[in-house]
Amino acid sequence: MILNMDGTKPIYLQISEWLEREILNRNFESDQKIYSQYQLAEMFTINPATAAKGLTLLVEENILYKKRGLGMFVASNAKEIITNKRKNQTLKRLVVEIVMEAERLDVSKEELIQMIRDVKTGEAGE
Amino acid sequence: MNVIDCRGLTKVYGGTKALNNLSFTIEENKITGLIGRNGAGKTTLLKIIAGFMRETSGEVEVFSEKPFNNLFVSANVIYINDQMNFPTALTLKELLNVAATFYENWDHELAMRLFDYFSFHPAQLYNDLSKGMKSTFNMIVGLSARCRLTMFDEPTTGMDAAVRKDFYRALLKDYLAYPRTILLSSHHLNEIEDLLEDILLLKDGKEFLHMPMADLKGWAIGAQGLTANVKEWIQDREVIHLKTIGLDRMYAVVRNDFSEYEKQKAREAGLTFSPVSSSDVCVYLTSKTKGGIDDVFI
Amino acid sequence: MSLSKPSTFNIVKKQYAYKLQAYIQVFMSLVFIQMLGILFSFNGVGMSGGGSNTLGVNVHYYSADIVIAFTIVWAIISAIHITTQAYRNDDFVFVTNRLSSNFSNILFLLTASIVGGITAIMSTYVMKVLMYVLGRTEYLSSPIAATEMIIGFGATILYVLLGTAIGYFIGTLVQLNKVFVVLVPGVLIGMIVLGAGSMNGELLQAVFKFIFMESSFALFFIKNVILVTLLFSSSALLSNRLEVR
Repeated sequence: MILNMDGTKPIYLQISEWLEREILNRNFESDQKIYSQYQLAEMFTINPATAAKGLTLLVEENILYKKRGLGMFVASNAKEIITNKRKNQTLKRLVVEIVMEAERLDVSKEELIQMIRDVKTGEAGE
Repeated sequence: MNVIDCRGLTKVYGGTKALNNLSFTIEENKITGLIGRNGAGKTTLLKIIAGFMRETSGEVEVFSEKPFNNLFVSANVIYINDQMNFPTALTLKELLNVAATFYENWDHELAMRLFDYFSFHPAQLYNDLSKGMKSTFNMIVGLSARCRLTMFDEPTTGMDAAVRKDFYRALLKDYLAYPRTILLSSHHLNEIEDLLEDILLLKDGKEFLHMPMADLKGWAIGAQGLTANVKEWIQDREVIHLKTIGLDRMYAVVRNDFSEYEKQKAREAGLTFSPVSSSDVCVYLTSKTKGGIDDVFI
Repeated sequence: MSLSKPSTFNIVKKQYAYKLQAYIQVFMSLVFIQMLGILFSFNGVGMSGGGSNTLGVNVHYYSADIVIAFTIVWAIISAIHITTQAYRNDDFVFVTNRLSSNFSNILFLLTASIVGGITAIMSTYVMKVLMYVLGRTEYLSSPIAATEMIIGFGATILYVLLGTAIGYFIGTLVQLNKVFVVLVPGVLIGMIVLGAGSMNGELLQAVFKFIFMESSFALFFIKNVILVTLLFSSSALLSNRLEVR
């Protein structure tokens, strides 16, 4: 099961994030039809209303668009929107967390930057 | 369309009010979880809806008809519980054949496929089954009947984890193919919450919460910090759970109706926030005291 | 999936078919009790003897009376049995309301009475065959006319049916309030014991005479049917508000 069922993060958010990942991974191209709420419900054993909420969230963010009677489709600039969103929200939040944790552990700014560099170049050694 | 409509429903049972002025409606083709502690009135409510028991006062309508002693309601509602009994003279196969004659939408092929999947033997007798196998057989009857209103009261009693998982999946798949109104009561909210669209929380025979499942996730928030800080922060708030940690720290669960600004201020005061799972929210809401069992051991 | 609109008639039919299958124990106990009745009947219900110096004659009278009596007791007990909670809950596992549940019960009891009545009468033949095989007798006789035979069947079935109706009524009372478990036998025994010489006794005797001492079959038939209908319909009325499961 790819969903985190421990109950702390709403399932519909996990669904929309999973769909975003699918789009980023090029499993869905622009203007391609994406899973219906019923397919998603079946895949993850969740209520179709929850799946619909996840889809609606993406429609509201213009990542998906609706075609009446046909279903939901991937917007042409979907990847862009997702990337931007993640940069602005997810990455920022993660950076804040890293900085806070570093402060708690008395890791200096230089040390922290070095750690990021190490990870980037793949030379990280614990 | 409303499938169930209750207004001021009260049921007096052995001198106590099993249901106390209960009002709610259930819409068509939704899966609703009926949650509550033992003795909260779940079973009484379901039996009234099924037409087995009579309300003491108030009104209840199922498919716009009064359910008690109503053939129309009986034909369109199935109630499965863990105290169900079938005639002792009939084999499992015969029971399924009989059920097929009673329910118009009965899917015998589905029944037989489930029967084989869960390795039942046609000549077995119901009374010889283990608790878990009985529940599994009940579930086959409940699903295959395809009643417009299907009610499962603690359906997973005695089932092992694998069968429970199979049951939830079977329920959802059949619901997707044949949408119907489903009421599901269970102690294991964390197991069923993903299946649910709505939740109806009962406490002492009263409706305590009735809301979409998704909203329940963010309904409450947990905060931890120094006792003084937490106490100040929860003043005039709806506290649903309190717990002291160590010597000077405290954990409080409150309604999540704070603005981002208020939370930011609280964070600056050293409070840390954490989401509260739906099943924990339900446990806190339905417990008798704010501190739960800890209050007993003062 | 559309809403089903069941008719009472249809559901009664289904419940009846279901009960014939599910209540098979009722018929099994009938076989048992009638065999027991036959066993008891072997002693004969009467005997007379006579003889001279050279010849001795012993005449034994055998009849199905004991079997019939046993069958009536079986009818009462079986009817009480199917009013119990376990049986009623079996109805309410599937589609029914109280009316269709009662109707199908009555149809079932009617069927059981017919089977019970016919087999009770037929048990005389079983007895004759057995006695012949066992060589306990040299001469068998009981020539009956066909009409008499039919009346015999009819009367037995009606008695058995009346037994089920009484049992069903008592069972229903008990289901309404457990007080009747004590009250019903108490009243019956009280009436028999205390009322032996008093007014009550006469009343009981009058009732008994009214039903059982009727010489005209047609009148007996009418009286019996009215009584059975009264008992069943009051049971149905009384249980119409009963809570189940």
